[in-house]
Amino acid sequence: MKRRSGKKFIALFLVLFLGSCKTPPVPPEVERAKAQENDLWRAGALLYAPEEYARYLETSRAAKNELIKQKAKIGWFRKYQDVQAAYRGVLAEGEEILRKVQQEKDTKSKDFGRQLEFVGGRIAKLKRVILKMNENGLVRKSLVQAEVLSQEAELMRREEKFTGLSEKIRAIEAHLSRAEEEVFSILARYADESQVERWRAWAEETIAESRRRGGAAIIVTKFDRRLTLYQKGVPKAVFNIGLGKFGLSDKLYAGDEATPEGRYKIVKKNPSSRFYKALLIDYPNEKDRREFAEAKKKGLIPAGRGIGGLIEIHGGGNDSLTNGCIALENEAMDALFSEVGIGTPVTIVGTLESAAELLASLKHFEP
Amino acid sequence: MKNFFKLAVVGIFLVSLFSSCAKQPTEAIDAAKTAIAAAEKEGAAIYSADELKKLNDDLQAALDEVNTQSKKFFKGFGTAKEMLAKVQADAEALKAAVPAKKEAAKNAALQAQTDAQAAITEAKAMLEQAPKGKGTKADIEAMKSDIAGLEASFPEIQAAIDAEDFLGASAKAATIKEKAAAITEQIKAAIEKVKGKK
Repeated sequence: MKRRSGKKFIALFLVLFLGSCKTPPVPPEVERAKAQENDLWRAGALLYAPEEYARYLETSRAAKNELIKQKAKIGWFRKYQDVQAAYRGVLAEGEEILRKVQQEKDTKSKDFGRQLEFVGGRIAKLKRVILKMNENGLVRKSLVQAEVLSQEAELMRREEKFTGLSEKIRAIEAHLSRAEEEVFSILARYADESQVERWRAWAEETIAESRRRGGAAIIVTKFDRRLTLYQKGVPKAVFNIGLGKFGLSDKLYAGDEATPEGRYKIVKKNPSSRFYKALLIDYPNEKDRREFAEAKKKGLIPAGRGIGGLIEIHGGGNDSLTNGCIALENEAMDALFSEVGIGTPVTIVGTLESAAELLASLKHFEP
Repeated sequence: MKNFFKLAVVGIFLVSLFSSCAKQPTEAIDAAKTAIAAAEKEGAAIYSADELKKLNDDLQAALDEVNTQSKKFFKGFGTAKEMLAKVQADAEALKAAVPAKKEAAKNAALQAQTDAQAAITEAKAMLEQAPKGKGTKADIEAMKSDIAGLEASFPEIQAAIDAEDFLGASAKAATIKEKAAAITEQIKAAIEKVKGKK
């Protein structure tokens, strides 16, 4: 009797032991959830959906605890229905977060794309303006710095590295602001209506003098880079010209590479200049000397610099990098040289266009 | 009755045997965590982010195994100990590998910096040879300004290297090099054009 109950005990033990080898399979949702968690981490869920991701991790932990609870049981007693349901919930939550993360990334990408397109447009516009103005100094340097940053920013956007992109765009804008300030400081005079009126008055008086004397007169408009020859008050020829490196500025001192503005006369004709042919004008005049003295008092003249001189209209080509002179193609110089003489008025102005007309011409300028 | 007592003694012995293996491997857990922290400190999060994530996942899997066994009547932490030992070994290997990866990234940035400088130097040298004649002065001045802009951007490469942003430094250097090379090509084309006319 006792032997029989012992055998029964062993048999029961063996059944239970063997039963534990026959375990139900872990639901496939468990492995899928593990892969999903990696996908979420790689997609940057912590960055783009931190609250949802934290909730997801809690849900995932609860599901995992349920799984552990079942795995702790002897195989025969494991039931995974609740575990499967819990993990299906985790997967659904994870899919939602992945969708949100991708949406966030797409939104950021489009937003930064628009910002970069805008700064790209500003760069292109400034390049057109400085090409028209032929101002290649500080402005162009700032534009290149902006372009370098712009290219880096675009690479970051394409690689979805959005952290730090706002700062980079701000740095681009800082360079562009510097460039725009430089451009505006030059153009400010040209947008000043009272200055434009003065220039127009000079031009009208010169043309009137040409009509009165029945002779030649020259009007130079710096912004358009044009020289107009008048005969008896009527325009006879228009030539394209080059100016000083900083030609749009009004000459103030020797070596500033600016082209002077004012009313002058031809004082010498040189048929064999090193720049083909040359017409020397009487810069500096009284107005120039007065302005130089005032600027010197204000400390605006570098030490050791005089007022300068030897400003000519000469040949040698009209690419714009003289030291302040007005340069023409040799053929144009031939035509002009034969029409003018000693005493021919030469009036150099910034522009005769209003600020509105000027801005319109800048807007529509295509190189 | 005698047999019953024999069986009871055997049963108690077996339970004791399993119970003696039932201590949680706390030392192994601490060792694995310390090894991962050391790898993170070395910079694994930046230079081996995927491997670090896998390590953390493996650690979690080992902790889950410990947790599972803890809830069982007959506890067995052998598997968990093996898993933790692997995590520790992998973390130590990762920590050892990080400095080399960091050094490689730094060297790549330094090389890119050198290449960018060489490209600027070449562009400046080419500019000296640029054909000077009708219609070229403005272009030459423009290119001089462009090179000045690239030279002004150049120190930002070193700043990025100093901040250990080696990828950023390489990207900036590559951009500068590309722009300098474009200037050089422009000048070469102008020289060829002049040669062609002659």
